[in-house]
Amino acid sequence: MTILTFTLILLLAAYCAGLLGSLTGLGGGVVVIPVLTLGFGLDFHYAIGAALVSSIATSSGSGSAYVKEGITNIRLGMFLEIATTIGAVCGAAVAIYLNNNIIAVIYGGVLLLTAAMQQRRKSDHDGVTGSETARRLKLFGTWPQKDGTLKPYQLRNVGGGFSVMYVAGVLSGILGIGSGVLKVLAMDSLMKVPFKVSTTTSNFMMGVTACASAVVYIQRGIIVPGLACPVMIGVLLGALTGARLLKRMNVRVLRQIFCVAITLVALNMIWQGFSGAY
Amino acid sequence: MDIQLLISRTLRWGVTAASLVAFVGGALYLAQHGSEPFDLAQYRQFSYAAAHSADYTTLPGILQGFSRFTAVGWIQTGVLVLILTPILRVLLSFFDFLKERDWLYAVITALVLAVIVSNSLSL
Repeated sequence: MTILTFTLILLLAAYCAGLLGSLTGLGGGVVVIPVLTLGFGLDFHYAIGAALVSSIATSSGSGSAYVKEGITNIRLGMFLEIATTIGAVCGAAVAIYLNNNIIAVIYGGVLLLTAAMQQRRKSDHDGVTGSETARRLKLFGTWPQKDGTLKPYQLRNVGGGFSVMYVAGVLSGILGIGSGVLKVLAMDSLMKVPFKVSTTTSNFMMGVTACASAVVYIQRGIIVPGLACPVMIGVLLGALTGARLLKRMNVRVLRQIFCVAITLVALNMIWQGFSGAY
Repeated sequence: MDIQLLISRTLRWGVTAASLVAFVGGALYLAQHGSEPFDLAQYRQFSYAAAHSADYTTLPGILQGFSRFTAVGWIQTGVLVLILTPILRVLLSFFDFLKERDWLYAVITALVLAVIVSNSLSL
């Protein structure tokens, strides 16, 4: 195989990862890791570098549209980014001491949680009475409805959400992924933010969170040009196609199939990690 | 201009610029080395010690590569532009909060910036 062939195959794989990540709402980074490790047999560290690049690319690429539509809660995102960036710095510091097997088990755990969360009902949390802390921090917001009006919402449990966000940041720092599942868990389940606002604000935060550890990863040589270039372009184009398709496609069945797939991948990784295969 | 629109445009232009720069680097790399045989072994085992000395891991190394129009320099500059995009978005928010005299959020935003910058200074 020549370098050209490998690069084109990688570009295609990254395109598919970006497309799937966008259609299922998981983000590109989560899909890139198993594609590169299980599919291509790369070392986990290189896959993490590629995932980090994809996380930033998809966050900025799709975030652009959500912010313009006014769904993203910028204040909420900014406030919680304190927790995720500090977490990411800690995660990147710890990552140096972790070998491939431990990383595989952690990643498998995040995937299992992701699959489980996909089964939850999406709630708009109507009529939530916000907490005093949330009001003082000016975290309440409005979000656009289908008929064009703005609907106000309140939220609570700022401390709980902030703590889970720290954990999400640590995982981002270790794995290079956006940890969307934990971010949504914090905002949706704990803080009672409307589902659509949770997912878009989570996506918005991913880029900044990933940036906090990205420079350290460049220095360590985990982000290599030969992989970063095709992955960045492929994932971005895939995510753009996905966003277009999403508007006129019913993805319910796809999401169910995907859920089973990532559960299998997760169990495989945890099993191999525990048996020391990596 | 409305801050939401400004952030939205910054993000879009940032990823576009990053992809274009990386694409130029990638095309250059393939033109020079595309027909050489590919060895997967280089990516099978990662070692911090071996990777650390490469010229694509330091800011001077990357910028030098960019100015000398090397493939690796351009790809890594694309990655740097990609990383700078969300940071620029935080910076824009910071100035917007200052302008609105929202001191609480100016401090929060400055804190996020401080965390990112302090962790990135050693490049």
